[in-house]
Amino acid sequence: MLALQLAIAGVAAGSVYALIALGIVLIYKCSGVVNFAQGAYAMLGAYITYFFLRMGFPSIVSVLAGMALMALAGMITERLILRRMLKAQIVSVMMVTLGLLIFLKAVCLAIWGPDQIAFPQIFPSGAIDFAGIFITYNYVAAFALASALNIGFLLFYRFTSLGLMQRCAADNSRAALAIGIHVSNQVSIAWAVSAALAGLGGTLLASLGGLSLGISDIGLIAFPVIVVGGLDSLAGALIAGFLLGILEAFTEGILTPNLEEFLRSVSNVQSVGALQQVIPYALLVLMLLLRPQGIFGRRGAERV
Amino acid sequence: MTLVVTDLSIHFGGVIAVADMNLEVKPREIVGLIGPNGAGKTTFINCIAGVNKPDTGTATWNGREILGLSPAELLRIGVARTFQSVVSLHDLTVLDVVKLGAAAHARNAQGFFGQLFRSDRGGDDELCETLLKPLNLVDVAYSPIQTLSYGQRKSVDLARALASEPELLYLDEPVAGLTYQEGMNMGAVIRSVRDRFGCSVIMVEHKMDVVNSTCDRITVMAHGARIFEGTPAETQQDPEVRRVYLGEA
Amino acid sequence: MQMTMRSFFIGLALAIAFALIGYEANRFVAYLIYAVAISAIGALSLNLLIGFCGQITFAQGAFVGVGAYAGGILGNAGWGGLSLLGAGVFGALVSMLVGLPALRLRGLYFAISTLAAQFILSYLFKILVPWTNGVSGLVVKQLSLFGRPVASDQEYAVICVALLFLSWAFIGRVMQTNVGRAFLVVRESELVARGMGIDVSQTKLKAFLLSGFFAGLCGGLFAFTSRLANPEAFEIGLSVDQTAMIIVGGLGSLAGSLVGAAFVTLLPEAIQRLGELLPSADLISAFREMAFGILIVLFLLLEPRGLVALARRLGARREVASSSPARSGTGVLQSGVAVAAQNRREL
Repeated sequence: MLALQLAIAGVAAGSVYALIALGIVLIYKCSGVVNFAQGAYAMLGAYITYFFLRMGFPSIVSVLAGMALMALAGMITERLILRRMLKAQIVSVMMVTLGLLIFLKAVCLAIWGPDQIAFPQIFPSGAIDFAGIFITYNYVAAFALASALNIGFLLFYRFTSLGLMQRCAADNSRAALAIGIHVSNQVSIAWAVSAALAGLGGTLLASLGGLSLGISDIGLIAFPVIVVGGLDSLAGALIAGFLLGILEAFTEGILTPNLEEFLRSVSNVQSVGALQQVIPYALLVLMLLLRPQGIFGRRGAERV
Repeated sequence: MTLVVTDLSIHFGGVIAVADMNLEVKPREIVGLIGPNGAGKTTFINCIAGVNKPDTGTATWNGREILGLSPAELLRIGVARTFQSVVSLHDLTVLDVVKLGAAAHARNAQGFFGQLFRSDRGGDDELCETLLKPLNLVDVAYSPIQTLSYGQRKSVDLARALASEPELLYLDEPVAGLTYQEGMNMGAVIRSVRDRFGCSVIMVEHKMDVVNSTCDRITVMAHGARIFEGTPAETQQDPEVRRVYLGEA
Repeated sequence: MQMTMRSFFIGLALAIAFALIGYEANRFVAYLIYAVAISAIGALSLNLLIGFCGQITFAQGAFVGVGAYAGGILGNAGWGGLSLLGAGVFGALVSMLVGLPALRLRGLYFAISTLAAQFILSYLFKILVPWTNGVSGLVVKQLSLFGRPVASDQEYAVICVALLFLSWAFIGRVMQTNVGRAFLVVRESELVARGMGIDVSQTKLKAFLLSGFFAGLCGGLFAFTSRLANPEAFEIGLSVDQTAMIIVGGLGSLAGSLVGAAFVTLLPEAIQRLGELLPSADLISAFREMAFGILIVLFLLLEPRGLVALARRLGARREVASSSPARSGTGVLQSGVAVAAQNRREL
């Protein structure tokens, strides 16, 4: 059944979106900054994992190496750049992350070239049969892994002492400092974790659809996710990620062909192009107009 | 030209910031509004300056209800205010700020295209003469705000408020952050402004020496309500005031 | 940065100089001149919104695109010089439409809504094939001015420089009116602006209107000089480019917009020359992008107030020895204070 197929594809994609969005929300809560470079972290993570795979390392090692190095990259970004810009205007900080995105894309272009690369199998090949639909292990594993990390992270954030420290530092850095929490360390940790999660997300995307510079575009999908979910809500990012993944899949699978048929009959417009990429943004606008704090966010949570 | 505020109350969340506050300001009167921190003075001013909407109460200026009017509307009917914290207005010069203040008064509103094509120099000299000279700002008329001292910036804010030709002026801590001498000078300036422009003034302030030498009458607030009203001399003597401020039995 | 009589005449002189150079030079130099001039108009429009009025926007690429398509369609329909005016008007209209939600949204949320607007408009450029010719791009006939077609790069250079000068002078003059002053106050604090009697919503809408007009003009000129309006040119990349221009040049600075535009437009050319030492086209392109990215980051880290502030800083150091007969009559000490004040990063 088409709907089920689309739902499955959407859920798998959505779990990866959630992974990326989670990282952006985490950084936002800690640093008050929207990290435009998150997509670049995903892309770089995928390429690094690819590098290790090509060197012959086993899948698990490569994936972990990718995540570890991305954690390092996140920490370096925070220490070297963000820390110097604590007093800068918001537009400047956003531009810095954009500059970083441009730079990292160029680095990957220089090293690996502009073409799409087939990503080696990191999950066993084969498929399972679910209600008459074949789902490859790739999809299952991507979904399982991403969801495990999503939920695992949420649990960590909520229930562990390190998570508690993260929440304190994010909520009120001065108060956190006053009770002895090393806020700047917490911020570094937040960046490291976000980058690592993004790196994994990129790897999963590459395993599903191939490795290319275009993976960095996932950073852009994250915006509708975090606005719909709520800029400062981790759970919101998770749920919105799934919602948007499913929305995208259904748009591509059902809405687009039907809409095109309709449009062709009444006008000269032949195709609706990449409607599934734009619909999330239309939803974003709707959300901003009706309920800016998103489904789960708090009112007035954003720092102006 | 009277301001009459009756039973004004406002609360934020669970905190009652102002409770049944009453105040009357007669024409050409300088009223000092004093009280310990958290008494609700600035909140009260914000209520009658169009920043917050109070829960209850009325405030009439010349018989007209002013609660619920926006700051822009208030400016048009002659009610102006200064600000406690002076925001750095980047590259704007003193004259720029004062002209913005003047534009707030309906009569002075010059059309956009008029400003675009006609030079402003004649108007500049007039503003310097009437507003900047009494405040010792003529020398820095063309200087960017960010190059001025704190005291000068407060004077600019005052000039801006005066440029709208107010009949009622709220001053929110006009001498906070100034030295003793600067504060006393400002007090003298405020009195001369009242003498020359004929406006009424409500002055929220903490520095008692300035308040005593500048104000005709003092209203004391504590815990959101008025607890005393009288001349500066009477205020100093009142036991309730002393208790609230100094904790005397 | 205020536009004084002195800077007006300097600007006029420079405009005449560049127009003459553009007219007499070879095609490549003429191209460089009009490329910079067109970008500068875009940078000015963006600076008006972000630098002067403090409204963060990512939709610049889309607004320029609207102007490009409007100008191209009108030009093809025979409107001549008026198509440039049309480009500006459509840019202003769409800009105001996007700006309307600004009246209700704060800072970051508003910025994200402009991001959404950019993507949605980019998408519309691609699918509204009957008007825009979609992904293939809209072919634009030569601009026809007073009945004569403008054919050569040199003529375009003159026209673009002239329009740049007029745009610069107009915007500079606007900043000297109460409208412009209101922009600055709204940027610093909406609360204070409101308390001063400024209608904040109207002020923001005016900023969008003016900014959109010049963004549209930039787009129109772009369409006529490249003879093509192609959706890929008006995506978020253009927004980033022009934002980089005003940050590198100096946020809130008229001259900075021009300097930044020149820098960001000419830099790829320079790097291309350097990069030609590299073996492959991809590497050259990567090298160029890397340099661009690093420059953005370095600038924001080290001199966030842009090249103009940097120049002022270096110039002021030399001035300490002698007093400057500045118009404001400030003495040596105060000009030093002024420079120090400008160097302080403001929140």
